[in-house]
Amino acid sequence: MPLFEAKDLHLRFGDRVVLENISLAFEAGQLSGIMGPNGAGKTTCFNVLTGRYKPNRGQVLWQGDDITGKSPQDIARLGIARSFQLMNLFDEFTVFENIAIALPGTRRRGHDMIARAYADTALVDEAYSILEKVGLAGRADDEAKSLSYGARRALEIGVALACRPKLLFLDEPTAGLGSDGRARLADLILQLKGELTIVIIEHDMEFLFSLADEISVIHWGQVIACGAPAALKANPWVEASNLGRLN
Amino acid sequence: MAAARTVPSFTPAMLVTWILFATVPFWIERVGLYQYLGVEILIFALYALAYNLVLGHAGLPSFGHGAFFGIGAYAFGLAQSNVVPNLWVCLAVAAGAAAIAGAFVALFISHRRGIYYALMTIAFGQIFWFIAIKAHRITGGEDGLLKIERLPASLGITTFNLGSNIALYYFVLAVFAVVSFLLWRLVHSPFGRVVKAIKQNETRARFVGYDVWRYKAAVLVVSTTLSGLAGGLFAMAQTSAFPDVMSLHYSGYVVMMTLVGGGLVSFWGPVIGAVAFFLARDVIGSFTTGWMLWFGLSFVVLVLFKPEGIAGIFSGVMNGRDKIVPRPAAAPQSQAR
Amino acid sequence: MSLLNLLPHLLNGIALGLLFSLIALGFMLILGLMEQINLAHGSLFALGAYFAYAICGAKLPLPPDVLVAWAGVPLGLRFATAVVVAPILVAPFGIVLERLMRRTYGRDPLYGLLLTFGVAMVLEELIRVVWGTRDYMMPVPRDMSGGFIMLDLIWSTYRFWAAGMAVVAMGAVWFIVERTRFGAMVKAGAHDSEIVQALGIDLTRLRVWVFVLGTMLAAFAGVIMAPLWGIRPHMGVDAVVPAFLIIVLGGVGSFWGAALGGLLVGMVVGLSGAYASEWSMLSMYLLLIAVVTFRARGLFGKKSVLEA
Ligand SMILES: Nc1ncnc2c1ncn2[C@@H]1O[C@H](COP(=O)(O)OP(=O)(O)OP(=O)(O)O)[C@@H](O)[C@H]1O
Ligand SMILES: [Mg+2]
Repeated sequence: MPLFEAKDLHLRFGDRVVLENISLAFEAGQLSGIMGPNGAGKTTCFNVLTGRYKPNRGQVLWQGDDITGKSPQDIARLGIARSFQLMNLFDEFTVFENIAIALPGTRRRGHDMIARAYADTALVDEAYSILEKVGLAGRADDEAKSLSYGARRALEIGVALACRPKLLFLDEPTAGLGSDGRARLADLILQLKGELTIVIIEHDMEFLFSLADEISVIHWGQVIACGAPAALKANPWVEASNLGRLN
Repeated sequence: MAAARTVPSFTPAMLVTWILFATVPFWIERVGLYQYLGVEILIFALYALAYNLVLGHAGLPSFGHGAFFGIGAYAFGLAQSNVVPNLWVCLAVAAGAAAIAGAFVALFISHRRGIYYALMTIAFGQIFWFIAIKAHRITGGEDGLLKIERLPASLGITTFNLGSNIALYYFVLAVFAVVSFLLWRLVHSPFGRVVKAIKQNETRARFVGYDVWRYKAAVLVVSTTLSGLAGGLFAMAQTSAFPDVMSLHYSGYVVMMTLVGGGLVSFWGPVIGAVAFFLARDVIGSFTTGWMLWFGLSFVVLVLFKPEGIAGIFSGVMNGRDKIVPRPAAAPQSQAR
Repeated sequence: MSLLNLLPHLLNGIALGLLFSLIALGFMLILGLMEQINLAHGSLFALGAYFAYAICGAKLPLPPDVLVAWAGVPLGLRFATAVVVAPILVAPFGIVLERLMRRTYGRDPLYGLLLTFGVAMVLEELIRVVWGTRDYMMPVPRDMSGGFIMLDLIWSTYRFWAAGMAVVAMGAVWFIVERTRFGAMVKAGAHDSEIVQALGIDLTRLRVWVFVLGTMLAAFAGVIMAPLWGIRPHMGVDAVVPAFLIIVLGGVGSFWGAALGGLLVGMVVGLSGAYASEWSMLSMYLLLIAVVTFRARGLFGKKSVLEA
């Protein structure tokens, strides 16, 4: 049984069909990639998988349980985290607090109105360990909005990691990054790969093909091809839609 | 250890402020003002602090908060004559009634934010105000609920008579101290930080697993409860309760106090605002009947040029106030910038 | 109660509703293009009423002999002058307000709300300073006042005049919005200000004109409402709150939702007045909460900046 499965998802905005018959399956411990041209419906697909939109039809399964239509917070609590294509941070918080607020330990204490926040050293250490991971430990006390673009991207992933997910969705994590940033990000993802299941939407073929175990291609709201990177390169569909072009 | 740089909970400026507040009855008449003003200011300072929990900390623009203040005032008066004339019971009823009203409103509006939130709170505020005016048999309508007594504060061993304005002032000061301490704790508690996170980015808060609706509802209820408590104190101070405090105008005044003082950037901003509001009323008001005109104008100027309010003008003092950066137990290895 | 007995309440409600619609429409115009809530709309409405009173009552800051001569002019003519001139006199206030609001464009809409709230306070106080806190009655020309009997019931004549004038004004708005280039620009601007700018339309000027139009509508509504409601400093708040509710009820972004929302509110207030006149205004809020609880964006609303 796959860790996470989407069956036959269908979504319309008004009379505009954005997703039709999307079926995906992500195996535990694997790194899956999703690619496709602009406006293909990739982000929308993530939005359905993580509870932002309810599909008009179809099912989302988590470890075999039906979680279709659950709210984002319920899905997040199952251990499913995501990063956003357009950055979505707590801008006025420090980098530290962006991470700390997302930790399940903080969340479990969220109803406490009297104790001091982040007084628990174990929690603080946990936050710092995540900051280390994404390379932001040195900037813990800067405001999120004062960060450079690249650092914000890193924090975006950091916040998702702070949820301590079993499954991590990353929406175009390399967007706007230079080659340095990409290399560092690839390192981080390789490091995470052993620990959790990851799904990445990515336009950068080289990046994706070097990391992913399996790749799905979405076009016109449909999965038009799916397979291991090597197999995909040979796929006529992918060739035809001009997506398989590596450089 | 952690907490190398956490928020200081007591600063020299605050010490001075508390000393000032504690000595008010000794000098207020010498500067040409009167004892009751101190009571009024403190009650509204308490109210504005409670209100700012919603506006400043949660970013929810309630424009109908007067309703809860008023409900507290009526509940205090009604409890006195219908339940038991005991100060603590009556204050608890005042807070409780406002809490229930707040919870009711929260059911309808907690999924909203921004201007829709403002509109819905206006609608609910008007409803409560309207009921207060029309339910003549309960509230006395526009004539108000009269003959509310200043009940004595019994502390087991001794009992304080709160009949005089000075005694009442110290009682209100004590309540203010306790409540503002609790609010201070709340704002810096895990709950307070989550609320602050929701203010900045509701969507992300949801995606990291917070049930945003509940937090928004809870913060509104806490705020209305304390507003009701302030209202109860006000009924006691005025020895009566009137519907006017529930009107849109009065709801607007607390917004103005909070903003003018700097509630958006500072915990104590609303207190500054309440002081400024009443001083403007009495000081400008002694020169011209149109004091509200001048206060309104300064409000407009502040919104345009300095939305951070009076506290924001002294921003040097405020800098870094809201930064929470505990240090990890193991010193962090230096990291590439 | 028989249906016939309800009829006057219904008709009065419709008349009231048309006036509410008119207020709401000016409000909507500004909200639609600028995505700004103008809480001072009610104060502009009140100013219109006070100016009309000053014109009709010949209480203007003019030389005494001019005033005497003006007071000798028949009331009908003075009233007609007020209907036309008062909105023009109020327009500059709208222009100043728009200038102030420029600082809030692109910021959190809360600031626009707070700013206009402050301006509303200031205008209301200004009215108190100039005219005092007392109520005034607006004189109405003989031909428009009084009542008449129909179906064995007494009807107030002016109500019908007021409703008629509201309909004419709304018709004019409809014409401007739906049939002129200006209207097309406003609608395009409400939809996407970048496109409007790309087409070489001066958005700044467009905004000023929309504000002028909205302001004049508010003032016009104030003039024709004055004989019905009386004139007092807080009449602005009395008017802006229903206007608000109507907008939310009708749905933000929908011009005609505002018109329909106004009618609905008027009828509900009118009809509930038949059963419990004390509580009739309450029904309006309950209607709003009922509608908005089930239809988050009101009857005809689209997604808008207000949800941000
Ligand atoms: N809330 C919405 N309402 C209406 N249409 C939408 C909405 N969200 C997305 N769309 C449309 O759905 C289509 C898919 O958008 P989506 O953002 O999922 O594309 P994408 O594959 O992520 O593209 P990109 O590579 O540019 O990020 C787009 O045409 C977009 O305009
Ligand atoms: Mg996308």
